[in-house]
Amino acid sequence: MLSSLRTGVQGVWRAASRSIQTSSALQHDSLFVHRDTPEDNPDIPFEFSEANKKRVEALLGIYPEGHKRGAMIPLLDLAQRQAGGWLPISAMHKVAEILKLPRMRVYEVATFYTMFIRRPIGKYHIQVCTTTPCWLRGSDAILKALTEGTQCHVGGNSPCGKFSISEVECLGACVNAPMIQVNDDYYEDLSVDDTKEIIEKLKRDEKPKAGPRSGRFASEPLGGLTSLTEEPTGPGFGLQPGLKA
Amino acid sequence: MLRQPLSRALTLSSPVRAAPLAARPYSAAPPPPEKFEVFIDDKPVQVAPGTTILQAAAQVGVEIPRFCYHERLAVAGNCRMCLVEIEKSPKPAAACAMPVMKGMRIKTNSDLTRKAREGVMEFLLVNHPLDCPICDQGGECDLQDQSMAFGSDRSRFTDIHFSGKRAVEDKDVGPLIKTIMTRCIHCTRCIRFASEVAGVDDFGTTGRGSDMQVGTYVEKMFLSELSGNIIDLCPVGALTSKPYSFAARPWETRRIDSVDVLDPLGSNIVVATRTNEVLRILPRTNEEINEEWLSDKSRFACDGLKRQRLVTPMMKDSRGNLVPVEWEDAMVAAARALRDCPPGKLLAVAGDLADAESLVALKDLVNRLGSENTCTEQYFPLDGAGIDLRSSYLCNTKIANVEDSDFVLLIGTNTRLEAPLLNARIRKAFIHKDTDVAYIGPKVDLTYEYMHVGDSASIVKDLASGSSSHEVLKRLESAQRPVVILGADQLKTPEGPALLAYTQELALRLQDKLQDKNWKVLNVLQRTASQVAALDIGYQPGVGKALADGPQVVYLLGADSGVVSRDQLPKGAVVIYQGHHGDAGAAMADIVLPGAAYTEKRATYVNAEGRAQQTLVAVTPPGKAREDWKILRALSEVIGERLPYDNLDEVRDRLSQISPALVTYGDVQANNYFAQARTLAQSLQKPVSGKLDVKLKQLEDFFMTDTISRASPTMAKCVQAVIKQKQSKY
Amino acid sequence: MVVGRAATKAVRPLLSKEFCEARRRAIGLYRAFYRYIPYILTFYDITKNEEDMRWKLREYFYKNACITDVRVIDLLVIKGYCELKEVTNQWQQKGHMMRHWSPTIERKPTDFLGKFYAGID
Repeated sequence: MLSSLRTGVQGVWRAASRSIQTSSALQHDSLFVHRDTPEDNPDIPFEFSEANKKRVEALLGIYPEGHKRGAMIPLLDLAQRQAGGWLPISAMHKVAEILKLPRMRVYEVATFYTMFIRRPIGKYHIQVCTTTPCWLRGSDAILKALTEGTQCHVGGNSPCGKFSISEVECLGACVNAPMIQVNDDYYEDLSVDDTKEIIEKLKRDEKPKAGPRSGRFASEPLGGLTSLTEEPTGPGFGLQPGLKA
Repeated sequence: MLRQPLSRALTLSSPVRAAPLAARPYSAAPPPPEKFEVFIDDKPVQVAPGTTILQAAAQVGVEIPRFCYHERLAVAGNCRMCLVEIEKSPKPAAACAMPVMKGMRIKTNSDLTRKAREGVMEFLLVNHPLDCPICDQGGECDLQDQSMAFGSDRSRFTDIHFSGKRAVEDKDVGPLIKTIMTRCIHCTRCIRFASEVAGVDDFGTTGRGSDMQVGTYVEKMFLSELSGNIIDLCPVGALTSKPYSFAARPWETRRIDSVDVLDPLGSNIVVATRTNEVLRILPRTNEEINEEWLSDKSRFACDGLKRQRLVTPMMKDSRGNLVPVEWEDAMVAAARALRDCPPGKLLAVAGDLADAESLVALKDLVNRLGSENTCTEQYFPLDGAGIDLRSSYLCNTKIANVEDSDFVLLIGTNTRLEAPLLNARIRKAFIHKDTDVAYIGPKVDLTYEYMHVGDSASIVKDLASGSSSHEVLKRLESAQRPVVILGADQLKTPEGPALLAYTQELALRLQDKLQDKNWKVLNVLQRTASQVAALDIGYQPGVGKALADGPQVVYLLGADSGVVSRDQLPKGAVVIYQGHHGDAGAAMADIVLPGAAYTEKRATYVNAEGRAQQTLVAVTPPGKAREDWKILRALSEVIGERLPYDNLDEVRDRLSQISPALVTYGDVQANNYFAQARTLAQSLQKPVSGKLDVKLKQLEDFFMTDTISRASPTMAKCVQAVIKQKQSKY
Repeated sequence: MVVGRAATKAVRPLLSKEFCEARRRAIGLYRAFYRYIPYILTFYDITKNEEDMRWKLREYFYKNACITDVRVIDLLVIKGYCELKEVTNQWQQKGHMMRHWSPTIERKPTDFLGKFYAGID
């Protein structure tokens, strides 16, 4: 009796209540404050490996005394590569310690640049370009194929922990659209089959062939050159006779 | 965005850090640069090169609106509110950052300027929440004032129907600062303050663009003793005072100028009251003591003024409990005890927060009753010159001059926690003038780098005799304006007189060689606000000797630091306590007379430099409490030895009889007789072997040091929060 | 020359014919008020105690101590009984009660000790 009364009342309330005007919260995909998680907290020690320590020395050597803080971005990038594609907070602390800067300055730089990932990420960070040229050439299908193939939703990690997919802005390979970037390699001129093949290879930890998949070398036209077909002109081309020599 | 002044960032350009400072030509000061003329709104003004348009306009009297610019912080130039039109320039320029050039014509009220201001204001208000009714800053908000004065009268914001306004999480930075970061306009004043003045680089901007957040990135408390100043700095209600939240609007409060007594520097404050209760304490600008900053204890301990107050006279009944009585009864009992006391067995002890008027009344009364035993709780050695020569117990380099020094030696004093605003000055010199600091004592965090010479007292002996091999000696001797600061706590030990003698020797040796004849080197930093006035009036520092004689009547004037305790007194001794809080002193008293706290009386306090200042009455004393000197004057009348003054002016005349320096408010006397003090101290230079230790080492020790702050719940929360933060991993 | 006798006038008495009767009436009024004082303290919220009230009553009576004219005494007694009726019927309030101690007549202390005890600046 009471439960039916409650549902009845609820129905009445829903009809009579005013809906609060809200808009969808406009949020960034990454958090700009740090929350301690079991994988990312300052208790987990971070040390540069021996080889990386030499690289650190080399990087610091580029900058003169008093300006060592210029090495912050290269050091953070090195730490990110060592930590498997993302920057743990202890790596940021280590870089601050190397550069003898307050930790906040390192946090500021690490949060400013989007290439510094501050959450644990899979072994293969797949970044899909979905801006205009790639979108016109069908990046939606590529993205769908990727999410289905890896069981990973955009902005998260896959259940197996190997893949992470993020939608990024233009990666600069518009001529070879649609394309994706996996860690440091571009895979361009993709079709859905190409994407599936890439995923399969990555699942087996093999490296797929990077670059355009349509047969061309870089961004030249597939059917041969349509411009710049003649020999390059020498010096003095097009100059008026009075200026020659 | 210049976070730090260029001189610090480009440490390459300061080889003086490595080389001796004899290279600095103080004697040959460069001639002042040639001033040239610029026109602000067609008004000509002569400015030195390097002035910005904003400063030049301020000289003429034209105030350009701004959010991020602050005179005491580095220039950021990110709010863009100060944009002004310069003739023959297509774009407006940021007045706070643009240096003037010869013949520049600047228009601060033209159409372009006004349009720029309206535009900037419109952009600022796009993402600013509609919080004015619930925001504490309402009524004193820069954004409100500037939008009324310079903003447009209508809004074009329709985005509310689409993506809405930006919202940002609140950050937890401690129990003192309430952060509502949605209101933040990213002026970065708090970041620059934390980095430059407070020395705790915990604030920064994370993210960029719309997602930029000002905060500490990780959840961290802002561990600085000057943290409350960012509340004043923040132009909007993003950083507000947590104890004062939702308490009052600024137009409801009455503001009374006063002086703070919880630390020895006497920072100038404004007490905001409403319906006879103190709501908050804000700093008042005084270039010579506290600039415009105020330490946390002075700012937030005001809620201790409402707790543990003594409101009625009390007397011990037959069972030993203090029961409230009327004034007449308490007075008669106290008078009987004082009159029946044999002369010489009467001891008067002055506490930390005693004002000069009550000190002089007590001393006059005690002297008339035949006793000379008037003591302060804080010890100072009487050997040698002792307290006869004023320069031995004051900060002779005035607080403002410390920022002009080029080498500072701290001996056994943690200036960060004992006198935070003096530390801020040293830090200012450290950052802007490349002053180096050497420190003798246990390792503490002073917010700037210092040469830790060690912690044994013999180092001072070696420096004084010139036999030290440490490079500090070379630096001291080559410095043109050295400063030596000795903490008064170090003089409590049996080696105290020797330590003082060595410090005087060292300081005088350095002072004799200086070219600047007006520069004084020796500073002794007292710990309490009452010590200097007490020593000036003639109190004996330290109770040890007087207690050893076995006093029969002890009169405690606010003496709560536990130096005098019941078991040190002979059985049957009568303790009369006059003060404003029920602390250690009242607990052991037989007769309690309620006095007034510093916000409730018009009183004179002398700060560590010897500057006399007065507090004014902001609220009336609670219950049956009376002003302190009036209690003593009434007591004298009941005893029969009536004191010769009936009103405040007559008391101040008596003070000026003792020393005119006690009533010349706001001035510091130039002290002398250093050479004589040094001669008298020659015989005291015995070998010293102890270790120098400071009482306040960590930030959690800072908050509860005197009776008002011990009664304050806000200070208790601070101590808890600091301890909790120190256990965190960040 | 006629030896003048003190000029007297025969008038109609108000209430009492002779002085002792008037005195008895006055004392009766005093007793009535005196006995009502505890009830005044119960019913009126005033910051005085019994001693103060009795003293004030005495003061009022002493003020008129040197009056010898019987009719004047009678009139004052009648007015006193009017006052008593107003007080006992609660037609007067605490303000009226406190008015009897009006500060302009009760002098403020001027010496230091008096001011100190009273809490005046």
